[in-house]
Amino acid sequence: MPLATILEAKGVKKTYTMGKVLVPALRDVSLRVEEGEFVAIFGPSGSGKSTLLHVLGGLDRPDEGDVFIDGIGLSTLNDNRLAEVRLRKIGFVFQFFNLLPRLTALRNVELPLTLADVSEREAVEKAKEVLKIVGLEERINHRPTELSGGEQQRVAIARALVNEPKIVLADEPTGNLDTATGLDITALMKRLNQEKRQTFVVVTHDENVAKTADRIFQLRDGLIRRAQKEDARL
Amino acid sequence: MAWESLKQRRFRTSLTTLGVVIGITAIIALASLGEGFRVTIREQMEQGFELNVLTVMSGGLLTGVGSYFTDDDVRNISKIEGVAVAAPLLQKSAVKLYNNETHKNSTALVMLGVNFAEFWLIYPERLLFENGSLPTSIANNTLIIGYNVEHPKETETFAYTNQNVTVEIALSRTRFENYTFNLAGTIGKSGAAGFINFDDTIFVPLEAARQIFDTDRADMIFVKLSDPSYSDSVTTQIKELFPAQEVRVLVPSAFMEQVESVLNMVEIFLTSIASIALLVAGLGIMNIMTVSVMERTREIGILKAIGAKSRTVLTMFLTEAALIGIMGGLIGVPLGYAMANVLSHLMYRYSAGFTPSRSIITGSRSHPLAAVTPILTPQLAIGAIAFALVVSVIFGWYPARKAAKLNPVEALRYE
Repeated sequence: MPLATILEAKGVKKTYTMGKVLVPALRDVSLRVEEGEFVAIFGPSGSGKSTLLHVLGGLDRPDEGDVFIDGIGLSTLNDNRLAEVRLRKIGFVFQFFNLLPRLTALRNVELPLTLADVSEREAVEKAKEVLKIVGLEERINHRPTELSGGEQQRVAIARALVNEPKIVLADEPTGNLDTATGLDITALMKRLNQEKRQTFVVVTHDENVAKTADRIFQLRDGLIRRAQKEDARL
Repeated sequence: MAWESLKQRRFRTSLTTLGVVIGITAIIALASLGEGFRVTIREQMEQGFELNVLTVMSGGLLTGVGSYFTDDDVRNISKIEGVAVAAPLLQKSAVKLYNNETHKNSTALVMLGVNFAEFWLIYPERLLFENGSLPTSIANNTLIIGYNVEHPKETETFAYTNQNVTVEIALSRTRFENYTFNLAGTIGKSGAAGFINFDDTIFVPLEAARQIFDTDRADMIFVKLSDPSYSDSVTTQIKELFPAQEVRVLVPSAFMEQVESVLNMVEIFLTSIASIALLVAGLGIMNIMTVSVMERTREIGILKAIGAKSRTVLTMFLTEAALIGIMGGLIGVPLGYAMANVLSHLMYRYSAGFTPSRSIITGSRSHPLAAVTPILTPQLAIGAIAFALVVSVIFGWYPARKAAKLNPVEALRYE
């Protein structure tokens, strides 16, 4: 069965100005992710990982080059259409979870459905279902402050999955967790990848996460140095 | 979402809303008092003016030119379309009265010579008899007197029907003559029509008055219209009957309109002042929302990252502003109305300390402020709430726009 390309970056360049200094964050990045893959973008801090993830997820626009999500070129979209792509095709998981502190776990997970104009009743049902998948069915009415870091990240993953996105982009998902919890979260993502064929792109400098990946892109100084296969040793 | 967010910041939301409440309270209080005042004035004026009665006077009212109108003039006026009755009057001032039987005295400010039947057709509801009635056959010495003439003091009665009354009339500055009349009736409190206060008036037959003053003319013509809507056309046609500038027509509806427009202006002026309070409240909303947007920058970043459009964020913040406005309006309207009632009560109490003044228009000894009841019309209530909503949304627009325009990556990085 030929694999469909879910994500493709072509010659992406991005430069930041910090004061008067130009900082090239991405020099020339091209990569391709197929449906059902679990891909890690691995590199030390300052290598441009987060910038790459923002550009891949349509949160930020590249100076040059283009990103295609499910065949759609993001450079051609206006801000509204870009938001629509983020809403329906992409799920985000962040290092600091980024849940809304005032809302319960359930309401946090419902949020993308509400934004997608899904009815309240349907949204609650769907959110509960996804929270059960990530193993939080007992904690749905707790607010983020009442949840552990691992639990918060599970809520965030549930929120990323709830609109059935083509791809989940995770930015250092274990970066703010202890090792054991980090392994749990990594295992959860891997399980979702295997059981639901959910495509994952995980930006990380956590070797445990990278090891789980089908492929690893090594990012250094804004350039992809190597693409390694699943069985490659780091 | 917007509602939850407001609930989370209960104290701050309450203070912001309080600003709107104060603004709306001020607007409603002043506007409903103004409206009440306007209605009170209108009612008092309607008591003083029959809207369907025009008064035709010679242009020389102030210069003292004598009787002007002939019986032909009266006939011509009565032929104009829309004229129901045209009644000529002779008006003379200040007479002394003496009761031949009880030897009591009284005075009248005005003596009117009228055709009783016609004149009572003009004011059938105003001129009601306290004693006696309109005589069916009118002798030359028939007399009808007003309430204050009959009762020089509240407890005193000057004369009874069928008693003979001597009236001392000034024929010139120095010449006084006594005439004896027979009292046919007395009328109850009637107030004033235009500038004639019926309570201080005695009525004698027009023919008798003409004989006394040796004239075949009339000083004024009272014109009753079949409908007040004829006011303008009849006025124009009456003026066409006479040489330019020689007659004046007192049109109560025109006068009322002028007073109404002045009252309108006063009401608009008061409401505008109150509106300033609401604008200040709007600035409060803008201030609070700008702080709120800064505090929630990260939250906005999250929302935009997971796919909220700029418009969604804008709507969210505008909804918060609108909720504050509506809440403020809903609380402010009843509060303002209550305040208007308290103010009206206080004004009454305060002014009651003084001697009740005599109302110029009605001539009655009523308390002038007693009747000012604030009036809250549905239009005013809905208008005020809508105004609060509009002000809130306008002032909420800038911070909401700022929130909507946030770049998601920068907003997420914000601590």
